Amino acid sequence: MSNVGQRKTKEEVKDALKDIASEMHNKMEKGVPPSMTLPVRSKTNIGFDNKLGVYKYGKKKSTRDATSLGSARQLLRSLHVTEFIEQMIDSGKSSTLREMYYISEAWGHGKFGSQNESNNLAEDLEIVTKCLREDFKLRPEEDGARIIGNVTFEERNRKGDWMRINCRDDVGDSGYGVPYNVESEKLTLVEEDVDFIMAIETGGMFDRLVENGFDEEARCALIHLKGQPARSTRRIMKRMSQEWNKPIIVFADCDPWSFRIYASIAYGAIKTAHISEYLATKGAQYLGITADDILAYDLPSDELTKQDLSALDSELTDPRFNTGYWRDQINLMKEIGKKAEQQSLAKYGLDFVTDTYLPEKLADIGLGY
Amino acid sequence: MGGPSGGNTMVDARDISGKQKQIAVSEFFEKNKHFLGFDSLQRSLITAVKEAVDNSLDACEEARILPNIVVEINRLKGEDIELISQDNGPGIPRDAIENVFGKFLLGSRFHAIRQTRGQQGIGITGVVMYAQLTTGAKTRVISKIANDSSAVFVELGLDTRKNKAIKSKERREIWIDDSTGEEVKHGLKISTIMKAKYQRGKQSVYQYLRMTSIVNPHATISLIVRGRDGEIIEQGEWIRTSERLPRVVEEIKPHPHGIQLGTLQRMLRESEQRKMTSFLRHNFSGVSVRAAKEVLSTSDIEDDRMPKRINSEDAKKLIISFQKVKLLPPPTDCLSPIDDLLIKKGLSKAIDSRFASTVTRLPTVSQGNPFQIEVGLVFGGDLSADGPIEVLRFANRVPLMYQQGGCALTKAIESIDWKRYGLDHPGGKGLPKGAAAVLIHLASTNVQFTSEAKEAVADNEEVFDEIRKGLLEVGRGLKNHLKKKDQRKKAKEKFELVNVILPEIAKKTSKILGREEPDLAPVITQIMNAVFCEEELGWDKERKLATCSIKIFNYTARARAYTILLKWPENENISMVENSNGGRKEARGIWAWRLDTLNPGTSTTISISLSGLSKGDWTDTDVFFRGNGDIIGATKIDEKILEEIRKSEALTAIRNEISDSDLQEVNQIVSGSDWVEEEKNNSDAINIFADFEEGSE
Repeated sequence: MSNVGQRKTKEEVKDALKDIASEMHNKMEKGVPPSMTLPVRSKTNIGFDNKLGVYKYGKKKSTRDATSLGSARQLLRSLHVTEFIEQMIDSGKSSTLREMYYISEAWGHGKFGSQNESNNLAEDLEIVTKCLREDFKLRPEEDGARIIGNVTFEERNRKGDWMRINCRDDVGDSGYGVPYNVESEKLTLVEEDVDFIMAIETGGMFDRLVENGFDEEARCALIHLKGQPARSTRRIMKRMSQEWNKPIIVFADCDPWSFRIYASIAYGAIKTAHISEYLATKGAQYLGITADDILAYDLPSDELTKQDLSALDSELTDPRFNTGYWRDQINLMKEIGKKAEQQSLAKYGLDFVTDTYLPEKLADIGLGY
Repeated sequence: MGGPSGGNTMVDARDISGKQKQIAVSEFFEKNKHFLGFDSLQRSLITAVKEAVDNSLDACEEARILPNIVVEINRLKGEDIELISQDNGPGIPRDAIENVFGKFLLGSRFHAIRQTRGQQGIGITGVVMYAQLTTGAKTRVISKIANDSSAVFVELGLDTRKNKAIKSKERREIWIDDSTGEEVKHGLKISTIMKAKYQRGKQSVYQYLRMTSIVNPHATISLIVRGRDGEIIEQGEWIRTSERLPRVVEEIKPHPHGIQLGTLQRMLRESEQRKMTSFLRHNFSGVSVRAAKEVLSTSDIEDDRMPKRINSEDAKKLIISFQKVKLLPPPTDCLSPIDDLLIKKGLSKAIDSRFASTVTRLPTVSQGNPFQIEVGLVFGGDLSADGPIEVLRFANRVPLMYQQGGCALTKAIESIDWKRYGLDHPGGKGLPKGAAAVLIHLASTNVQFTSEAKEAVADNEEVFDEIRKGLLEVGRGLKNHLKKKDQRKKAKEKFELVNVILPEIAKKTSKILGREEPDLAPVITQIMNAVFCEEELGWDKERKLATCSIKIFNYTARARAYTILLKWPENENISMVENSNGGRKEARGIWAWRLDTLNPGTSTTISISLSGLSKGDWTDTDVFFRGNGDIIGATKIDEKILEEIRKSEALTAIRNEISDSDLQEVNQIVSGSDWVEEEKNNSDAINIFADFEEGSE
């Protein structure tokens, strides 16, 4: 991802895809098996990019060549996808990843075995061509987040007109739905009157804060992440943080998977490390729930499962968590053997989270109100 | 002890019926019903079916009739169940009906030993007795023998004090079969009503008949079970897969190594002989004149003593001498193995599987009793992969359904390290897990059970060792099968890769780039870089021929030359009627073809057809090669092994030249044990062969 601001032209995208086909074709002409070279996509091959302040893929490459049936099928699929994208670019259409999965039914030996395979291959092509999946006219299935708070966007609607939306006054209780494309051709950040932006993992907690009027009381915008946040969710947070210069605060459950949600927001996700600088918000802060909170607030908690423990151990070898803060949190969590949900705060009543917990925690990081 | 020679059951019952007639047989039955198989409602029904079916099978076998047996079970009111069993056997002559159904058949052939099903049960009289005791019902019998113009219809009860049948309503009539509407030429039908319970599962009539059909591939057996309203609850039909009746087994005399004092004394008492040497020679097997004399001199007994006068002191001395003097082993033609090919058929009739391996071991002797082990293993197909494997135990063609854990046959299975042969065997203890079933058949003139219930075979080192050897053999077969399956899968993937996917990749890149399609031959050579061999066994339905085609692909950069060798089931009845590439016989069951030049990127196919086999007989084979460079899908032949096969072949040829009667003499001349030794070597040669296949990985 050289520069997100400079989107590639249709011809550039097509040429980049053709380079993949050329690499294969040239190999075959030389009498060697066709292949495709990719960075290794695992935690062992991500490193901190000092310039960008996020985690990116390192130098480890893997070659996918046609010496095994599985790899050869992947190569054939890549070519089918290339052809399909070319057709969409030429005809001005787009498709969802799921639609592409179903379209592949007609690709004979190049058809996908599962939706996961087609998603991964789309990412592979992004990485190799340095294009974005938006360039490929591929849309995700997942819908983006919901936003409530005194911030105003302009979104281009289907008719091509710009529509102005204030996320406090112009929306219902479910908030503003973030579209899958949040680039400047689709969405403009107009104005705001908030002090910070709070990303919330669970829908239950998001609704609680909305009902308690926390956005107005604490002067913030609330974003519901819907679990592992979609690309567009991470991208809009990145833009809000960059263009409005507002801090991003993450409020999640206290369990190993929530830590990974935070890491994908603050440092970049392993699966999308090729576009981390475009999706990750450097400086996003983890507010809670922390392992300390379980003890300090005496929260109702669950035992860590075997999977939880191995996830925690895996995080200890993940470079993104290689900081004093995270090592302490993870080790403390392993020590007490407990995890807790955001909603466990309801132990002290429905208002405890907005009256006591959040004000105290926000004050700790200098956002008291 | 199953036979009349040792079973306490039989001796007790006989004593009761003979000397102590004042005790009612019904009392004896009541006291002993737990080991007569009538201790629970569920088991009583299985036992009743078992007695009826065993009788039918034995009778058909003796009369050389291929059995058709129909079992019908109808639930009536309360716990009453009607049991009907019909066969197409020889029938029972009118005069004999009372004896067959009214007396416990005891000790009728005291000195004769042979392998029969009947030695494991109380007999059909037990069924008549049980029905009468539980419901008061009489047992109705229809019997037709071929020579009579009409059938006998009669109802039977038991006079339990006199151990005698009471006949009633006897009449003669033409017997018309209910289902076919035709006159029955010969056969037997019995029906009775008893208190019993029909239950499904591992210990059920269904399972009993299913197992029976496996070891009696020459029989057609069917079962219908109806509920109270006449609805069919369960049914099964097992059609014969072989027209070959089991051979008639010879009766043999007991061998001194297996004799007990009481039996010896009785034999002496009843002896007609006047001299001890002739007593020993005529009443025992394996005793030559020389051996008889030696036994007598070791026991300090003069030859001219009257056997009747030998006292218990001297009898004891004889027993001791029997163990000291070298004796010939007993003859083994008194055994009736099922035959490995027939077991395979029987198994495939009852179980749908992907792989079946069976082995019939040569007969051996333990404590004077000849015995023979047969083992079968099936894998894959419909068999469930969860839980322990299914164990099918048989003694003299009779299924053993209870006490699986305590049975020596089961223990032998558990003693194998199944992990080595591709089955899951957690901790190496208990039964292995997986989609497999193991069959063990013990044929013996004297099956030793752990108890009178006769459901579990007692521990015996020789039997245990023989079973283990059989299991290892089928285990190796399974391992080979799994290895081959894996290899085949990998080869198939490679073929798909170079023949399907790669050309499509080339087509696509050319289309996307608008360039010419590249020549893929060098790419394919680089990806495969090997010679592949694929064999396929088939069945030509129209011409009734088993077919085999071997395709060899050279995916290397240079020309190759090989000799391809194929294992095929050569014997007197099976011949190669078609052969595309000529070649020559390398050894018995091994055919060889020379492939002089196999150019890079080319393939060649060898095909043969065999006559004398039925569909499903030839399901597994091995391809070997001689030459430089590996062939994926074939094994490099070891010339030493080939030499072994040739040697064993020569041995077989010599043996075949000697006629049966001569063989007897050879047996007498050559020390019997030496001969057995030779036989063993013969089978070891084939075992080495199997080992080699394993070691060649």
